[in-house]
Amino acid sequence: MARARAIVKRRRAAQNISKITRTMELIATARFQAAFNRATATKPYAEKLTELVEQLSRSRDDLEHPLLKINTESKRTVLLVITSNHGLCGGYNTSLLEAALEHINQREDAGEKVDLQVMGKKGIFYFKHLGRELAGSDTRFEDKPQFAEVEPIAQLLIDSYQRKQIDSAYVIYMRLLSAGIQRVHTMQLLPIERPTSEDRAGLREPSLQYEFTPPPEELLTELLPAAVKIRLFQCFNEAAVSEQVARMVAMKAATDAANDMIRLLSRQYNRARQAQITFELLDIVSGAEALQ
Amino acid sequence: MSEKSFTCSVITPERQVYESEVDSVVIPAHDGEMGILFNHAPLICKLGTGAMRVRKGNDQQAWFLDAGFVQVIENRVIVLAQRALRSDQIDRDQAEGMLAEARAMKVTDEISYRNKVHAQAVARAQLRITGK
Repeated sequence: MARARAIVKRRRAAQNISKITRTMELIATARFQAAFNRATATKPYAEKLTELVEQLSRSRDDLEHPLLKINTESKRTVLLVITSNHGLCGGYNTSLLEAALEHINQREDAGEKVDLQVMGKKGIFYFKHLGRELAGSDTRFEDKPQFAEVEPIAQLLIDSYQRKQIDSAYVIYMRLLSAGIQRVHTMQLLPIERPTSEDRAGLREPSLQYEFTPPPEELLTELLPAAVKIRLFQCFNEAAVSEQVARMVAMKAATDAANDMIRLLSRQYNRARQAQITFELLDIVSGAEALQ
Repeated sequence: MSEKSFTCSVITPERQVYESEVDSVVIPAHDGEMGILFNHAPLICKLGTGAMRVRKGNDQQAWFLDAGFVQVIENRVIVLAQRALRSDQIDRDQAEGMLAEARAMKVTDEISYRNKVHAQAVARAQLRITGK
């Protein structure tokens, strides 16, 4: 029974693994739901703010703001990569880091210096392993990003952009296209892209005369930084949701693989047991025949 | 509630925290308080740090708002604020602590001066709301 017993042992191991991965899948599902609801709840603010910026830019065509101007002097750019703190989420971090490296190489080939800011342990370890210096890192962000935590990061970027210390700022994060589909996305955070005339055409209320206090120029200096902050906050939120989705998918795949393994091992065990029985029967039968 | 009521909602970056039909709203605009009643003209306005008071029949609610904007359009008042706390969510002792802390802040340049003024305004506004 030696072979059959060895198979039983392996089958038990596979069963235990499948139990664990199944639990992790369920936990990821619950967290995904919570993170998804939180991410959805942030939408009204972002949408309203965008609408206000559009209303403002429509009231005057020649609005100017340091965050809208394109900086070129410093030859420095900031890249913010949002990775996860924990593993076991499939290719989530790998594809993010791949995209980040590509972006860095592109920028450096163009003669710019890249200040790298990495969120999440996985990304930090990766770049440490590569021997890259990080301009900033943070591991606070789990699946519940707080606005009060994201705001200072955005403020810092805005300040250095306004002082012309950086030419641009990009964010690489996992974008959630729908509840199941996600893609690595590189977003330009600074400078802010001007709303194109196409965007304006799609506005609902055509020409309402708003009263602005303070005057539009001054309002804009407040609105644009707020818009940048909320955009960054949404990146963090989407990244949190995507991470849970990735973990859900990875754990589902692991559970399925473990179950396949269990089925295979069961078959092998049955065959081995049957072979043993046949062998012993043959032994007895041939022994009896020899006696006759 | 009278017929001349309108919708007021408060939205923070994290979520919508309040929405209701109200009779009047007083908002802390950047240059002083501003009252809003039914049929107010379309308005986009910057908020200061302070208290928003919402009246609905005989019922009054106070909110602490910080850093935000307000949009008034077709009898809808939409308040976007980075921070919004209802009066019962504010801890008076904590606010007093914040005021003491803000008073002790050292001023070295323009930015730290602005921070100090802002921190004091936040603490004072919270104290005012809970004082009643």
